[in-house]
Amino acid sequence: MLEIETHPWQAIVLHAERTYPKECCGAMLGHAQGSKKVVTEAVPLANSFLGEQGTRYELRPEDLLAADKAARARGLDLIGIFHSHPDCDAYFSETDLKNSCPWYSFVVVSIKNGAFDHANSFLPDADQTRAEREELICQKS
Amino acid sequence: MPKILIPTALRQFTAQKDSVEVSGATVGDALTQLTSQYPEIKKNLFNDQGKLRSFVNVYVNDEDIRYLDKDSTALKGDETISIVPSIAGGATTLASAEPATLTNEEAARYSRHIMLPEVGVEGQLKLKQAKVALIGAGGLGAPVGLYLAAAGVGRIGMVDFDVVDASNLQRQVIHGTKDLGRKKLDSAADRIRDINPNVRVDKFETGLTSENALEILKDYDVVVDGTDNFPTRYLVNDACVLLKKPNVYGSIFRFEGQATVFAYEDGPCYRCLYPEPPPPGLVPSCAEGGVLGILPGLIGVVQATETVKIILGIGETLKNRLLLYNALDMRFRELRLRKDRNCPVCGQHPTVKKLIDYQEFCGLRPTAQKPAADAAVDALQLKEKFDRGDDFVLLDVREPYEYQIARIPGSILIPLGDLPKNLQQLDPDADIVAHCKSGVRSQKAVDLLKQNGFTSVRNMTGGILAWSDKVDPTVPKY
Repeated sequence: MLEIETHPWQAIVLHAERTYPKECCGAMLGHAQGSKKVVTEAVPLANSFLGEQGTRYELRPEDLLAADKAARARGLDLIGIFHSHPDCDAYFSETDLKNSCPWYSFVVVSIKNGAFDHANSFLPDADQTRAEREELICQKS
Repeated sequence: MPKILIPTALRQFTAQKDSVEVSGATVGDALTQLTSQYPEIKKNLFNDQGKLRSFVNVYVNDEDIRYLDKDSTALKGDETISIVPSIAGGATTLASAEPATLTNEEAARYSRHIMLPEVGVEGQLKLKQAKVALIGAGGLGAPVGLYLAAAGVGRIGMVDFDVVDASNLQRQVIHGTKDLGRKKLDSAADRIRDINPNVRVDKFETGLTSENALEILKDYDVVVDGTDNFPTRYLVNDACVLLKKPNVYGSIFRFEGQATVFAYEDGPCYRCLYPEPPPPGLVPSCAEGGVLGILPGLIGVVQATETVKIILGIGETLKNRLLLYNALDMRFRELRLRKDRNCPVCGQHPTVKKLIDYQEFCGLRPTAQKPAADAAVDALQLKEKFDRGDDFVLLDVREPYEYQIARIPGSILIPLGDLPKNLQQLDPDADIVAHCKSGVRSQKAVDLLKQNGFTSVRNMTGGILAWSDKVDPTVPKY
């Protein structure tokens, strides 16, 4: 189960809406207790995909490394990655799966006509063959 | 000793340790030691062949080992080793994002491109992956579509809702005589597939509107404007500025053409050049004013060239330059263009932040004080007037050459431009019906006459085209 606290949730939605019609991406920091993970901070990161960013995103490993360092420095863990699907449902696409990593929760945010629509969280497997949906609790305000 | 930072999710395999100290002279040794100490972590980092999984990157301090000595990267003993995944994705399926290669057929087809150092295989792959939107499959769209398809642009989106008419064939060379009456989109797509079956054609059978423009254009890399009217031209411009897509512009009239590239990099947009549209009717369209059939061929080929250069990133584009061409004296000229810092759409403090009503902006939205419906006559009502033997004047305000092609018997000809100085030829109290080709110019004639004290003047809606359709099909349409 992944819970995103109000403040980081607002930051994620805002970043996704501002980046529309392009895809946005970022890291989620927090702490994990067993299978329950709580996100207390969201870090917007640059979409470094070279090409049409309306339907693709790419995270620079350096940015992820920096996010991980920042998390550790504050006693937090890097526990997830978020990205948006502009004018498209929040499913885990084939592209998402083939470029995923099984260590993190992947939150997909659907933005339609520039406004938040819905979101889902996924846990991909190590072979990048399937992703399971995980329960997502986010604090809308 | 070097230490390896363990990602959160893998700490279940390292007894919850967030870092593990290892010895070893190289990164390879260090990772081997980690996996022998904590065997369960191995399958998370390595695949069955013992290779690092595709999404795993290893950093020594802040350096990716791929750019050092990979596994053999030496360790002195005080390094921090990080395991960082590669993460990407997106709403599209991977099918459209597979690494591009050229097939043997393509390599042969494009060999004259590939041998150009400025293009090469790399450039040809850029063309293959490029997506170009073409607004209009008419005079300009025809050569642009033909040459972009031949050049190997991977995806061409065409926006058009017209059907092929006999009067198109004199210049719209993507359509043939056999295509008369077909949708232009179908006819153009067939021709493109014939030239190059590798091209994917997306057909948008609609007019471009403020409601659909962003949605249609957002998936394309370059937009080519082949429109013939001001509202759509401003719409294409604003949509391109908002979406940050280059707008390859061309326009044609009679024997003269223009071309440039708007909204590209930091260059100007159409509104920097023309902040306001001309008053309605001042600038005639090709349908009203005529056009040399070859002219759109030349301007369209300039647009296709600029499009290909933008995709390839080569040469100097027409950004900041308006190319002017006159076919009669066969001269090219250039005007320097500048970005307007106060431009309402691309300036420093834009006031147009979303698409507006472009019909209204161009003064084409009918306003409330327009004559009531009973102040107009349609083709059938005009016929009734003739049949009843009404005493009235049928005033034709078209140009003499149009009158030569087709006329309604019993009409008198005074071209709209000559009307102001010929008012004395008309009786201010007579019952007058004005007509032109489609009803636009004659409405202006009606307004002019009313302003000059004429009491009973009405417009014939639909013009001579409607007369040919509804009353007398022997009158040719043009």
